[in-house]
Amino acid sequence: MTGQALLWGLLYALPLVVRSDFLLTIFIFTFIYGILGVTFDLIFGFTGQLSMFHPAVFGVSAYMTHLLAVRFALPFWVATLPSAAAAIVLALIVGSICFKFRLKTFYFAVVTLAFAEMIRLVVMNWNSVTNGTLGLVVSGKPTIYWPGSGVVPIKGPIAWYYLTLVCLTLTVLICSRCLGSWMGRCFGAIRLNEDLARTLGINVFRYKLLSFLIGCALASFAGALYGYYTGYIDPGYFSINQSMEVLAMVLLGGQGTLLGPIVGSFVLTGLPHAIDLRAEVRAMLYGAILIFTILVMPRGIVGTLFALRSKRDA
Amino acid sequence: MTLEVRGLSKHFAGLVAVADVSFAVEPGEIVGIIGPNGSGKTTLLSMMAGLLTPTFGSVLWKGSEIQALRPEIIAGLGVVKTFQNPQVFAELSVFDNVQVASHLALKRALGFRRGLEVLGAARAVERRLAERVAEVLALCDLGGAARQLAGNLSYGEEKMLGLAMALMCDPEILLLDEPASGLGRDEVHKLAAVLAKLHDAGTTLCLVDHKIGFLRGLAGRVIALNYGRKIAEGTPEQVLNDRAVIEAYLGVRQGAGHARA
Repeated sequence: MTGQALLWGLLYALPLVVRSDFLLTIFIFTFIYGILGVTFDLIFGFTGQLSMFHPAVFGVSAYMTHLLAVRFALPFWVATLPSAAAAIVLALIVGSICFKFRLKTFYFAVVTLAFAEMIRLVVMNWNSVTNGTLGLVVSGKPTIYWPGSGVVPIKGPIAWYYLTLVCLTLTVLICSRCLGSWMGRCFGAIRLNEDLARTLGINVFRYKLLSFLIGCALASFAGALYGYYTGYIDPGYFSINQSMEVLAMVLLGGQGTLLGPIVGSFVLTGLPHAIDLRAEVRAMLYGAILIFTILVMPRGIVGTLFALRSKRDA
Repeated sequence: MTLEVRGLSKHFAGLVAVADVSFAVEPGEIVGIIGPNGSGKTTLLSMMAGLLTPTFGSVLWKGSEIQALRPEIIAGLGVVKTFQNPQVFAELSVFDNVQVASHLALKRALGFRRGLEVLGAARAVERRLAERVAEVLALCDLGGAARQLAGNLSYGEEKMLGLAMALMCDPEILLLDEPASGLGRDEVHKLAAVLAKLHDAGTTLCLVDHKIGFLRGLAGRVIALNYGRKIAEGTPEQVLNDRAVIEAYLGVRQGAGHARA
């Protein structure tokens, strides 16, 4: 536990030492994808449901936050709330359908993927609102109230670094509170043995849905941040590649841990930036890393480290 | 009348697993169900716990029908079942296994206020439950293994853990599916002692078992099944001396005795 606290402390102190825009940018992407990874892991690693719906939530929230902010002249943070609400409604619909019909493993993955594709097609073809495949340019900036200087926009790598880090920290805190309580016990029971969970009085449908809702609601913030940070939104946000990338991060970092997805996100966003490679070569490297992890350390980086530590303690 | 089974039948694609079985379990009773392999004992118990939906007939708990309810609801009403092949969360510790089973108790204690517990505002309840978990583990003689992974337990210990988890659900009636099968002699004694303690504490028990000796020592009343039908009901001695039971269940000629225990 102290090790993890130290790690977070280091992350918060990093910009005091590191001034390189290049490195900070890697961390910013790491944090945004980290939010996506952690919330995906809540559904996949902790509750055992392989959801392919995350890109849909990510994309819808990116579009909605931007469109609401522009059309109604709302500040970024106010606009994220209806987006999170939309994510919850979507997750409620998709989750209810899937869990009511008791779709598991691949069936659940395929059906959530189909729903995500449906949403992608709507976004791609709703030209009047979404500008179709051309996408939208996001020129706004998130603002925060800073004592002394009033409401200031978030600009520059250091401000973005802290903004995304705080959002990631909050996400991890919320998830760890949920997982550390009876809720987490129910999620784990469902992942490990659904039938047994049922006979112990756990409403499997309700807790699967709850996990899905929390995961999707929190993931929506990643979408909003990503759109504002990159300044550009297009239907690529919804692509199946996003699902694969998040899954890869979680598997690489360690499923069923909160730290794992962040480490995975760092390796998979950082490495390709750090080593300047052609896109095809990069994709191959991705694949090679993934195959290596699954074969050599199926628990992922963090899972393997935890296992080593508990072996040493024992 | 606590639990009543009325004309219960279950057909699996043409196979009649349970046919028109009726009986009642009174509060505080220990009822045993015996029968040869494939006679429908487990199917009957599963229907009583809501794990299977009966083809015909009904299960009444305190006067209302429960056969169409979901198993988690039935567990919440106080009818809890254990499994013949022990079902545990192998990747969790023994303590955590039983703690998962404290879900219903927490729900009863806090209701929707358990949302507060997520924020860390209802710690006291959680601590009390952890104490209950330790008590239940001690009762089931698993206190020493609390930190072990459930997957590393022996078969007998796993069965005890299954029982401990069921107990944590605060059952009014406990449905036990062959609790003694596969256990060693000492473990059977231990199990019998735990069940006797539960009975003294007022829990109603309904158990299915092969070991007639085990049932004879515990059950006040025994029901015998064969090919899904009830063929006898009465005190253990009556049932064990019943001609139909001896023929069907023991598979030996009348007079050859029922000493196999």
